[in-house]
Amino acid sequence: MKRISALFLVLGFALSVSSVWAQSTLVYGTTDKVTDMDPASAYDFHTWEIFQNVSSGLMAYTPGTTNLVPALATGYTINAAGDEYTFKLRKGVKFSNGTPFTASVVKWNIDRVAKLNGDPAALVTQYVKSVDVVDDYTVKFVLTGPLSYLPALVATPTYFPMDPSVYPVDKIAKDVGELTGGEIVALGPYRLTSFKRDEEAIFEANPNYWGKEPGIKKIIIRYFADATTMRLALEKGEIDLAFKSMNPSDVNDLMKSGKFNAVKIPGPQIRYLCFETSESVFTNKALRQAVAALINRPEINQKVYLGQNAPLYSMIPMGMSYHTDDFKTAWGDGNVAAAEKILKGLGYTKDKPFTFDLWYTPSHYGDPEVNMAEVLKAQLEKTPLVRTTIKSAEWATYKQQFNNKQMPAYFLGWYPDYIDPDDYTSPFAQTEGSKGNGIFFSSKVWDDLFIQEQQTTKDAVRNSTFAKMQKMWTDEVMTAPIYQGNLYVFSKKNVSGVKIGPTLIFNYDQLKLAK
Amino acid sequence: MRHLASYILTRFLLAIPMVFIMLTIVFVVLRVMPGDPVNAMLGGHAPQKVIDKKKEELGLNKPIAAQYVDYLGKLARFDLGDSMIFKQKVSQPIIEKLPATIELTLFGLLVSLGLGIPLGASAARRRRSGGDFGIRLYANVVYCIPVFWMGLLLQLIFGIFLGWFPISGRTSPRLEVSSFSKTGFYIIDTLRIGNIGAFGDVMWHLVLPAFTLGIVLSGIFVRLTRANMLDVLKSDYILAARARGIPERRVVYNHGLRNALIPIVTMLGLQFSLLLAGAILTESTFSWPGMGRLLLERIYLRDYPTIQGVIVVYTLVVSAMSLLVDLLYAAIDPRVKY
Amino acid sequence: MRWFGRSRRKYRTEWWIMIAGVLIIVLILTMTVFPHVFARFDPNDQDAGGQMTAPSAAHIMGTDNLSRDVWARVVYGARTILGVAIAAALLSAIIGIPLGLLSGFAGGMFDRILSLIMDSVYSFPGLILAIAFAAMLGPGVINITLAVAVVYIPTYFRLVRGQTLSIKEEVYVEAARAIGARRGTILSRYVFPNVIATVVVVLSLNIADAIMTEAALSYIGLGLPAGIPDWGMDLSMGKKFLPSGVWWMITFPGLMIMLLALGFTMLGEGLAEILNPRLLER
Repeated sequence: MKRISALFLVLGFALSVSSVWAQSTLVYGTTDKVTDMDPASAYDFHTWEIFQNVSSGLMAYTPGTTNLVPALATGYTINAAGDEYTFKLRKGVKFSNGTPFTASVVKWNIDRVAKLNGDPAALVTQYVKSVDVVDDYTVKFVLTGPLSYLPALVATPTYFPMDPSVYPVDKIAKDVGELTGGEIVALGPYRLTSFKRDEEAIFEANPNYWGKEPGIKKIIIRYFADATTMRLALEKGEIDLAFKSMNPSDVNDLMKSGKFNAVKIPGPQIRYLCFETSESVFTNKALRQAVAALINRPEINQKVYLGQNAPLYSMIPMGMSYHTDDFKTAWGDGNVAAAEKILKGLGYTKDKPFTFDLWYTPSHYGDPEVNMAEVLKAQLEKTPLVRTTIKSAEWATYKQQFNNKQMPAYFLGWYPDYIDPDDYTSPFAQTEGSKGNGIFFSSKVWDDLFIQEQQTTKDAVRNSTFAKMQKMWTDEVMTAPIYQGNLYVFSKKNVSGVKIGPTLIFNYDQLKLAK
Repeated sequence: MRHLASYILTRFLLAIPMVFIMLTIVFVVLRVMPGDPVNAMLGGHAPQKVIDKKKEELGLNKPIAAQYVDYLGKLARFDLGDSMIFKQKVSQPIIEKLPATIELTLFGLLVSLGLGIPLGASAARRRRSGGDFGIRLYANVVYCIPVFWMGLLLQLIFGIFLGWFPISGRTSPRLEVSSFSKTGFYIIDTLRIGNIGAFGDVMWHLVLPAFTLGIVLSGIFVRLTRANMLDVLKSDYILAARARGIPERRVVYNHGLRNALIPIVTMLGLQFSLLLAGAILTESTFSWPGMGRLLLERIYLRDYPTIQGVIVVYTLVVSAMSLLVDLLYAAIDPRVKY
Repeated sequence: MRWFGRSRRKYRTEWWIMIAGVLIIVLILTMTVFPHVFARFDPNDQDAGGQMTAPSAAHIMGTDNLSRDVWARVVYGARTILGVAIAAALLSAIIGIPLGLLSGFAGGMFDRILSLIMDSVYSFPGLILAIAFAAMLGPGVINITLAVAVVYIPTYFRLVRGQTLSIKEEVYVEAARAIGARRGTILSRYVFPNVIATVVVVLSLNIADAIMTEAALSYIGLGLPAGIPDWGMDLSMGKKFLPSGVWWMITFPGLMIMLLALGFTMLGEGLAEILNPRLLER
């Protein structure tokens, strides 16, 4: 008994001591993981979020909106042909170690990204031919062709300038420990002062920041292995904010309880089914159509996500320009009749059904993934003419299997790199991008359409091109859209300033903690 | 002293072939796998030339025999190699996470001994009675409870429903680990700098995981203690003690139990293996940042060198524990000749 | 059958324990052979009822997050876990026993080396070994059976070798050799039958252990692919919904794992107490 009361005493002490920190620090829980702490290699949501807070780009989005405004740049001009952008840089900006920010720094970083050819390198190499230093505060981007959305591209972390004396020029730095001085040196509102992979990351306000000082001086990210534990930590008050990824049942409970601020972010993140179109059973587009017809999106949304997402009928998400609902008009949901017509026409019967492997990846997109596979399997097998086997592979292997064309049908997801319908279409249907995502679709007709929409700035032309593309998509079906997801941020009542817009960029410097 | 040293040396030398055999088995198994880890590691987009160059860098294109020799050579220098997925030495995450597992396992052992031995002794005392039967039933039932289920139940009841204990991690999210972490053994680290608040936090987080492990494995110690006690209680010196009029309680616990415990010490080595195995499941359930979770994470990432390194370390830990136990036994039992 | 009667009188509790174990096993075996008698719904039927409903008259164990009947998944899951556990135990026995016999009988360098290897594997935490194998082999029923089997080979080896060594010195074996019986005959006619009683006990306890190992592997996610009802996997699925108050998804599969393992343990323990004295008699 004595021992137990001693323990309670100790615990009481612990709680009182800990509350001293709470006032100037925010603890943020997430189940996401950091990949490589290097803009030349990172191409995932969470690592980009970190870069968006420890570094800055030439252009940036006003928090919570899709308005691009100058950040490290003060403005830009475009030449007549539309294939050269000249940026004027902000003067007097220094890195936290005193290195001045100049045009050569910009060039050094982008050249490095192109040279190292990591995952996001295509964001540079596909569009930028060269970066030229005009003078200390003027930099010129020479592009491969006319491009309307370069300003959006320079707002992505891949283009962010890092201190050249810190990042190794010839290889990718996976961990902070590999950097000279052991710390990321960049130009953002926060500095990353401590990082223990999969445990915690500590951010402190950057005294040399060129912009407005952040509201909260210290932010600690706590990494959780699973969403359930994170939810409980939030409920017990151990963390102040939780973002990505909650289980749907947890989202429901937290919203119902009314004890937390809940911010729902509609954002353009989509989930869809991909097909390997060059060598698998799905080379025949009729079979892709049949499978797409059988998908019952509202049912998936209800069963797996408890109604928290929205069925999606086009690869271009709702809320983005030019979106249409073509898949709904063309195929509908759970259209067994249409599917059976196609399958019977191809000679499949109850005794000789169409069989294929359906792949998913268990943790990269959150826990409910396996349920989505199970529900889709049940939907596909509503007709005796289809039989599928569910298979899974962890993300690293999953990605590898794109190249090896090992997965005839597989689930994938997409967060925006830049806010433009092109980002939701060309990676899957344009020859180069399609290869990188394991779909291997290639068609001159399609490639020409892409060039057409990429190189014009005329809204009318892009509108008609994308309208045409979406209709053609229901015929080609190299991917079948399933749902558009909502993200949820839950925080304690005294936390405010969560401004995440369609860009899904989370700016920590906007957060405020009331006493 | 000369004899003790040679005894230690003999036991140590005997441990080596065992470690060696496990290492070889691990090496063989890991090379037999399907799939190309190098391709996955490079993001799946890399051209063949880059893949080949990486393989050369990692030494994966040499014949198996050459790779084996390299592997052994490195181990002799305590070099566990480099991770295939992250730019780190394999030993780095292991050094970080091993203390967490050891802390958990030791406390689990304490709980199972603390539950098992008294129950076993008391069962031996009441041989063939209802109490004995009840305790034996407990021992059998408890061992059949899956460790992870026990963990979930304890989480549900004491963590969620009653809210008394935390259900994950070694420390509260608010506690800045970097402020005291030195050895990785948080119990020691917090006491060293005198941060009682942090010490309490760490202990509080140990409770549920330690009990999860401890309760399930207490059954073994109940049976062992009971069996040994029964044997000991039949022996002559116990009869003599009773004849001398020593109160029954002292006979059983002071004379009987002490002698019964000696064989238990020998079993500790084997039980430690069971505890390590159970710790993996406990770590998974409680998000405990230890070796078990490291193993599972790296399995999902196909980081073969780290997986291999973890298993090597487990082998070494088990062997070290066995050696320790043997020495302890030699020290306690005067009958052991060295 | 004389020893039968004698034992029954002396070891009443052990008999009841064994019978209880047998009953549990028989019940669950019936479940595996005639699942449709027990469960009204298909375990993969995603329209069995409401989503995550608590236990009720229609669904005695409730429904899960995909509206599947939990009782049906428990009944059909018995097949998976029992199948893998028994197959793995038998496989270990088939490999371990002959090796143990040979090694114990042959002696010499062969015995020394083999024993060393087996001891090394035996002292290593079994679950970790199973995890390593399962991870390497990948998901699938056969793979998981192999992974579990590997762990227990040394158990049978050591048991049988030990028995063989002690029996080898027995007088009747010496006599057999004196009259010129061949090695094979000695092994099969004298050594083996005495060993088998202990083996049956160990087999039973081993199956209990294999059940726990298989459940652990599927809980971690290294077991079977999605779609096959499996208690361990359902437990790890159900874990997510615990804070929402959904207790039935983890309670029942966990209970079943415990019950099944307990059944085999009781059978093994009971048999051990009953058979042991008989062995000592000889």
